[in-house]
Amino acid sequence: MSSSGTRGSREGAFAFGQGLNWGLILTVFLLGLVGVGTLYSAAGGSFEPWAWRHGLRLIVGLFLMLAVAALDVRLLYNGAYLVFGGLLLLLLSVQLFGDVTMGAKRWLDLGIVTVQPSEFIRLGMILALARFYQSIHQDVVSHFQNLFVPALIILVPVALIINQPDLGTTIMLAVSGVGVLFLAGLNWRYFAAGAVGIVATVPLVWQRLLDYQKERVLVFLNPERDPLGAGYHIIQSKIGIGSGGLFGKGFSEGTQSRLNFLPEKHTDFAFTIYAEEMGFIGSVLLLVLFVLLLVQLAFIANQMRSQFARLVVGGIGFSLFVYIFINLAMVTGLAPVVGVPLPFISYGGTSMLTFLLSIGVVLSLERQVRVEMSRG
Amino acid sequence: MAGFEDDATTFTRRGLVLGVSQIALFSLLAGRLQYLQVARSDLYATLAEDNRVNVRLMAPPRGQIFDRNKVKLADNDQDFQVVLIPEQAGDLDATVAKLSQLLGFSDRQQKDLLNRARRGPKFRPLTVAENLSWETFSQVNLNLPFLSGVQPRVGDRRIYGFGDATAHSVGYVGIETKHDIEVHGNAPSDMVGRSGIERYFEAALRGEAGVRHVEVNVHGRTVRELAFDPGRPGADIELTLDISLQKFAHERMAGHSGSAIVMDTQTGDLLCMVSTPAFDPNMLSQGVDTKSWNEMVAHERKPLMNKVLRGQYSPGSTFKMLVGLAALETGVITPDETIECTGMYSFGGEDFHCWKDEGHGPMRFEDAIAQSCDTYYYEIARRLGIDNIEKMARRFNLGQPTGIEIGGEKAGIVPGRDWKRANYDAGWRTGETLITGIGQGFLLVTPLQLAVMTASLANGGFIVRPRLIRDTEPVPPQPIGVDAKHLALVNRAMYKAVNRPLGTAYDSSILINGNRMNGKTGTVQVRRISKDERESGVLSNKELDWHLRDHSLFVGYAPHKNPRYAISIVIEHGGGGAYVAAPIARDIMAELLRNEGRVREARAS
Repeated sequence: MSSSGTRGSREGAFAFGQGLNWGLILTVFLLGLVGVGTLYSAAGGSFEPWAWRHGLRLIVGLFLMLAVAALDVRLLYNGAYLVFGGLLLLLLSVQLFGDVTMGAKRWLDLGIVTVQPSEFIRLGMILALARFYQSIHQDVVSHFQNLFVPALIILVPVALIINQPDLGTTIMLAVSGVGVLFLAGLNWRYFAAGAVGIVATVPLVWQRLLDYQKERVLVFLNPERDPLGAGYHIIQSKIGIGSGGLFGKGFSEGTQSRLNFLPEKHTDFAFTIYAEEMGFIGSVLLLVLFVLLLVQLAFIANQMRSQFARLVVGGIGFSLFVYIFINLAMVTGLAPVVGVPLPFISYGGTSMLTFLLSIGVVLSLERQVRVEMSRG
Repeated sequence: MAGFEDDATTFTRRGLVLGVSQIALFSLLAGRLQYLQVARSDLYATLAEDNRVNVRLMAPPRGQIFDRNKVKLADNDQDFQVVLIPEQAGDLDATVAKLSQLLGFSDRQQKDLLNRARRGPKFRPLTVAENLSWETFSQVNLNLPFLSGVQPRVGDRRIYGFGDATAHSVGYVGIETKHDIEVHGNAPSDMVGRSGIERYFEAALRGEAGVRHVEVNVHGRTVRELAFDPGRPGADIELTLDISLQKFAHERMAGHSGSAIVMDTQTGDLLCMVSTPAFDPNMLSQGVDTKSWNEMVAHERKPLMNKVLRGQYSPGSTFKMLVGLAALETGVITPDETIECTGMYSFGGEDFHCWKDEGHGPMRFEDAIAQSCDTYYYEIARRLGIDNIEKMARRFNLGQPTGIEIGGEKAGIVPGRDWKRANYDAGWRTGETLITGIGQGFLLVTPLQLAVMTASLANGGFIVRPRLIRDTEPVPPQPIGVDAKHLALVNRAMYKAVNRPLGTAYDSSILINGNRMNGKTGTVQVRRISKDERESGVLSNKELDWHLRDHSLFVGYAPHKNPRYAISIVIEHGGGGAYVAAPIARDIMAELLRNEGRVREARAS
């Protein structure tokens, strides 16, 4: 605890402010603002019902992010398993008491807000994995006996979510976890073996999939299979994006969303509205903003001195990338519709909060980069 | 901390692998966006526009058809319909089930509808129900949000208030076919005229569809109107027909197969134009099944054929006026010269019979027409030669269409040397001249041509063009150039034919308000009478099959002093002209003159 600024004194606050990566915060804020504008447009040029809430969540989330940024890094480290365990319990309680909305048991009604623990668990999982790898020596990372703990950390929440059922979140969680293992330096052979295993179990998994999940994959492979049904999302989204052209139809002028041809336009398909109205140039600018975010995270991760910090920042960055890429690939027709929100843009409280808290963790780690931790 | 550097190196190396992969994947995304938004943006812009804009056609009301007194002959009735576009229905079973429930369909009807929706082209609107009550129709309208692919439609149904009586003149409409679209372009409604005025005035009657470009949302709800063109309703058409006379004539013709025409001798206005048997145009407009249609087509009395224009018959004795005029004009005979009729005329080793076996005795010009002596006409035809007969027939417009506004008219045949050469590759024989002289043989005319011919005899020698539509510019009557004195003789003879005891149509004379009718009967033999039959006694028409009986004809005009109306009656296989056609003409003309008298009285008082 060499340079913590949580005492509340003016110098302390100043020092805290100085230690923060304002560039990263600005990037995140800009992305959130793009989200507010897009949702304003999605509602046909109105702050109701999405844009103002999104904005409010952005502000509140930024403050929570700063609060997390103020946390002592050792607290994060020591509390990692606790946070993960608590979130697992929360996930389990969703199984027992959760709301069934849209056929999926995802939300837990806390009275004031409804939360999706399945989103939060990702951050908990990354922290837990990072803590585990901090606690073992690099030489034994690939040892067989050291596979069990990480496997449990990933598979237990995956198993809980898969039951909910929520294909998109489950995949995101698993892929994020595997990303951390990769960054931790697990032997290549495990990944190769895993890939072979997945391919081998595809037929088994296919049998277990629910009808709508099967349909989504089939329609992805051929959207024209059901142009007015399951393929409708993809086709209408491509029409929306494509019709934007080079310069777009102009803010709030997108006909695909205004006339409701685009379903779920405020959540998973928010990018379609943006691309329709802002055109290719606007889309590429947004892409650049996302790349900027990821590059910053990569640099931060590389500066970190402890394996814990490296893996947390790297894991968060990778997880963000997976969300961004899968969402954009989905709305442009490159991936099946799996229900993945676009970070900071799509409407959704838990998603926004999870990403902002994750950035808060990154800020905290970067601020306390000199705090040393022993390994092994 | 030996492992410290190692950890960082491993992490950096792995991070680099991920970073490079991410850059590759982001490039893929950028490429995809370039493809969608730049390379293919025109395609997607079009698709978005198709989503957004819905072009709605509004069928204009079809023009109405009236008679000369503004009585409605063809009207439109609003018909509430429901159509289903299968490809827009989404869950077809659910939509059909819901719709069937609203329409009160039986299980069987529901199954039929489902089958039809599955079988046909998915884009084509399928008529689910027609002639719905307003209550049912509004029920469907209220439930539209739950009935994807279902469209309510207010269709125009054509109503012909006088049914069969106007079948051939007004015609009827049918549902547009692919062929119609090729000919007329897309009809603004799906009705297309199939015959008569409906067919030949399709362009005027159909009007232009109104077009609404509306912006619609995903549910097909109109968000706002982008453009609106009200279109143009179809033009109304007023006919020259007098529907009360038309109806009377139609009823009077009941049971007969033939035509009845009353034409204004000055203007060519057709006051009545009847072809029997007819059909119910209301039924045909709704569409008939193939079996009924084929039966109508195959029927020996040809109900679908407008015999007024398309029936071609030998004129028989109604042609004698023209032969007589030619004879007077060329001077091969004088009005007072007598020709002895013995009932038979021998020429070139052949016997030519007069209809009166015992013969007429000495005949002069007027008597020969009034009593329709064939022997007299064999003789003057021989003296004239075919060329002179042909020339006179052509001057009276025979052998060519009259030019009535509705198409499909036949030209008839005026035979001559060239015609014989062209069609039979044989020379003309004088025997054929004799037969032509009594209006038989190769000579063929339509009932309408006979009406024009009769009008020309009555109006002082002018060809008029028959007119069915009052807006048609009347064509100035064309002088034929026959001597007025000769015409007067012919008219005098036609007076005698009807109004003198020895006249063939004496039984059909009328006297209404001092007006009489002049005319000429015609009996056309359609079979060859063999020598044996002649010796054993010619079979009467009643003894023969219908199709072997004589055609019965009558042409005439009234009033006898200042002729206004020409009449032409042809009854297929009706028997003697005097017995069937003449009484029909008498009754129709009497009805017309009586009505006229009534109108005059009403005006006077």
